[in-house]
Amino acid sequence: MIKKFTFSLILCLLAYTSSSQKFIPEIGLTTLNGESIKSVEAINQEGFTIISFWATWCIPCINELDAINEVISDWNKKEDITVLAISTDDSRSKKRVRPLINGKNWIFDVLSDTNQEFKRAMGVVGIPHTIVTYKSEIIHRRIGYTPGEEEDLFEVISNYKK
Amino acid sequence: MTLLLGLLFLSVSYSQSNRIYGSFESNAVYYQENEEESYQNKLASNNYLNVKYLFNSNWNVEVQVESYLPKRLQSYSDSFENTHLSTLSVNYSKNNFNMSIGSIYDQFGSGLVLRTWEDRQLGINNSIWGFKTSFDTENFNLKLLGGWQKKGIGISSGKIVGLDSNITLLNSDTKYQNLIFGLSYVGRFEMPHYVSYDFNDLTNLFSARLDYFSDKFYLEYEQVIKSEDGIIQFGSISNEFVKKGSAHSLNLGITETGFGLDMTFRRLENMPLFSDRFEQGEIYNESNVNYLPALTKQHDYQLANINVYESQPNVSFPDPELMKSGEIGYQFDLYYDLKKGSTVGGKYGSKVSLNISSWYNLKGQYTYYPSDYDTDFIGFGEKYFSEQSIEIRKKWSNKFDNIFLFINKYYNKRFVEEKSGEINSQILVIDNTLKLNNKKSLRVEIQHLSTKDDKKNWYGYGLEYNFNYNLSTYYNTIVNYENLDDDKPAFYSIGASYNKNASRFSVSYGKQRGGLLCYGGICRYIPEFKGISFSINTSF
Repeated sequence: MIKKFTFSLILCLLAYTSSSQKFIPEIGLTTLNGESIKSVEAINQEGFTIISFWATWCIPCINELDAINEVISDWNKKEDITVLAISTDDSRSKKRVRPLINGKNWIFDVLSDTNQEFKRAMGVVGIPHTIVTYKSEIIHRRIGYTPGEEEDLFEVISNYKK
Repeated sequence: MTLLLGLLFLSVSYSQSNRIYGSFESNAVYYQENEEESYQNKLASNNYLNVKYLFNSNWNVEVQVESYLPKRLQSYSDSFENTHLSTLSVNYSKNNFNMSIGSIYDQFGSGLVLRTWEDRQLGINNSIWGFKTSFDTENFNLKLLGGWQKKGIGISSGKIVGLDSNITLLNSDTKYQNLIFGLSYVGRFEMPHYVSYDFNDLTNLFSARLDYFSDKFYLEYEQVIKSEDGIIQFGSISNEFVKKGSAHSLNLGITETGFGLDMTFRRLENMPLFSDRFEQGEIYNESNVNYLPALTKQHDYQLANINVYESQPNVSFPDPELMKSGEIGYQFDLYYDLKKGSTVGGKYGSKVSLNISSWYNLKGQYTYYPSDYDTDFIGFGEKYFSEQSIEIRKKWSNKFDNIFLFINKYYNKRFVEEKSGEINSQILVIDNTLKLNNKKSLRVEIQHLSTKDDKKNWYGYGLEYNFNYNLSTYYNTIVNYENLDDDKPAFYSIGASYNKNASRFSVSYGKQRGGLLCYGGICRYIPEFKGISFSINTSF
């Protein structure tokens, strides 16, 4: 049995080397004002989009978005970047989203994925999970956040050969 | 297992075609010391492989295979054994029309009448095995679904049917306003143990919603009526105790730049709905049709997660001194941004958030024998739980910031867990992060829980060192240092994680505290254990 478990670990390593989902599936999301919007419509079709899956109770997620909020104006002077913060809060904590983003003065778009259908469709297991697209094609994704990692994210964007 | 491995291998092999994508998650524990003898010195793992295949822009298929080998992790449903298919759905969409057959995941309104979803940490997957069809336009949508609910690796005996519709009554772009009206119906048809009762086998839930949003104000109201149903008492049901149910939920808020205030009021009376009636009260959260979470603040810190409130939507009469029929209460949230350069905000600014919540039994006339009750619409009975918390996030320099959290909590163990005791506690957390350079950082967290009740005081601390963006190590511990009855129990964990792109690997060793594990307002009991844990997850 342990051999099978080890085998699954090896297969998982293989999977890791071939991360390949290239597109964003069309899934219904809602704006914080209750309007329906398709995931693909929210993506920047000309430039980069940083899609960050987060929740109000996830401290590393908020740290990441706070950090991006600090620097996004400077980044936009160099690159065309849209930030989409996808709230995975369910109906328990969803009511906390709008006051939180106003209280924090976040300047980017926040969309709600209340029953986590977009999260499921994107194969997101844990949060924070960040995906970068260029002209709607996925070019990078990462799990977790450590202080300063937003700089590495911008480096990925800056170094991308368009 | 072979099925899971085969599918994983195929997925990886064909993933370059961009038509196949998905995720894989594996959580394994080698148990050393354990309360349950069958888990002593045993390896257990839960493995999930989710694969989606896109035929074209209209058709797609989703498959999820789960493997519990050599055995399931402790405290998951007994029915999880070996390898089985847990999700299979075929989906078609064109223009405004969608149709799905197989495993259906969906939610009506805020979930008070229906929510089917998956939460692996809680062992929940209550998808409906059936069909769903929906029609969406800009200002109107309609959904119809039906089938049997997933229960363990099988399906429920009860059948579920649901209808949901939303219509936008007002949508003004010039002066931003949005008014949405919603209606839902959910029916649960189940013959309880094939015996004929005076109440109907079909239980009906009707929901009406009105949501209003403008630039600086929003209001969401939902009312639910549940038809008469037999109350489960001591594992049985009778014609003598049959009641209707109801739910009222009001949420309103005011937001401005740098300021947000949210207020919630909710009243639940006899609101549980299970696809199999007798599943009510079982510990694995199976067969839940509706979603009735606790409306309290969810915390991330260990000592803040002792004595967590679980919502009380049920009728329960365990003894003449403890009779409850639901819950009523409120919650306030305030967020405020202390601007950069202001006297209080300092050079880098500060963020402040406050949370206040209180939950009570429904006030009314209760009779133990024969069992009955008559409640007031607005009336606060015995207090279940209350909490006041303040969180301040302060950045002191480009390299150093911290989070200060203080919680004052009241927990009525007698009424919530139907055990004995009431617990008043205060929790203090200080979480400090120091950036050593662009990639390296150190996080130090200290916690203390003060209480004269129950198991008395605790302290805890944690250290986390990030070598770079990929590799982290940590150590944390909590010690119940005033618990002299149990020789000052201590729990600890030491571990490391490695993240690369869309994959994460982690390993840890430690002793985990037993008790209620709660995510998203739903809880399950986990026993205390000592062992080595491994976890892998990846998206491909």
